[in-house]
Amino acid sequence: MKWVTWEQVGVDRMACAWLITKYIDREAEFLFVPAGHKPLPEGAEPFDIPGVRLSHHRGHCTFYTMLRECDLRDPVLQRIARVVDEADTVQDVMLEPAATGLDVICQGIRLVSPSDLVALERGRLVYDALYAQFASEPTQA
Amino acid sequence: MEQSQDTSWVLLVYKIPREPTSSRATVWRKLKRLGALLLHDAVWVLPATPWTREQFQWLAVEIGELEGEAYLWESHLLLNGQSDALAQQFQARVDAAYQEILGEVEREDADLVALSRKYQQVRAQDYFHSELGTHVRERLMSARGGSTS
Repeated sequence: MKWVTWEQVGVDRMACAWLITKYIDREAEFLFVPAGHKPLPEGAEPFDIPGVRLSHHRGHCTFYTMLRECDLRDPVLQRIARVVDEADTVQDVMLEPAATGLDVICQGIRLVSPSDLVALERGRLVYDALYAQFASEPTQA
Repeated sequence: MEQSQDTSWVLLVYKIPREPTSSRATVWRKLKRLGALLLHDAVWVLPATPWTREQFQWLAVEIGELEGEAYLWESHLLLNGQSDALAQQFQARVDAAYQEILGEVEREDADLVALSRKYQQVRAQDYFHSELGTHVRERLMSARGGSTS
């Protein structure tokens, strides 16, 4: 199916695209619209756009919302959600030092990529790596 | 300080039910953490960047989820000099926080872990890139005995 989000992808949207392709929709096709652009294309599921179902809720990032909406309970994914929360939203409690670095790296990936689509592709490696590393550590959601 | 004449500003006005008080506190804390300035007890303002725009949008949505109501604008100041004056208010607050760190870092028993964390928090709100920030960074680096390069 088709998925749509705003251009200039960063930490949360790269994480979401990785999650979608890996756990939700292997055939996912991603579309991008300029920030604030309306109306959104029909027939595509919007994500990480203010006001849509799959976006920030109650101070949590979109990746966190997706885990909840799709009932994904893997503790490694939960920990990644914590990292993305700290990277992408305003948090008082910071428990994951990887968060700040991940944010910077994802922004940088967009800068060195010719398009948002390529940036999502390249971002996959980062999240595969994060998953593998967290999976090798004692569980901490 | 960087040029502020052409700065766009994002403005947030909101109201939120008195109860539960935790909702009000949540929103207030986030505004503080973003380093937003409250003008005349009415309008919260931040210089517009991709980051502040997005954070204010999420906050506006969250206020709605907390049964409140929020309006969000992006705008320019029309009167000469007001943009600079506003930027200076941001700068003054950030500089005061940097000064505090500088005062603490000189102490014999300075808690360098806490001070560097505080530096990071202040820097995240340093929208106009205060020169004092560079100075604080250098002081922290030499305080830990490292190289300043």
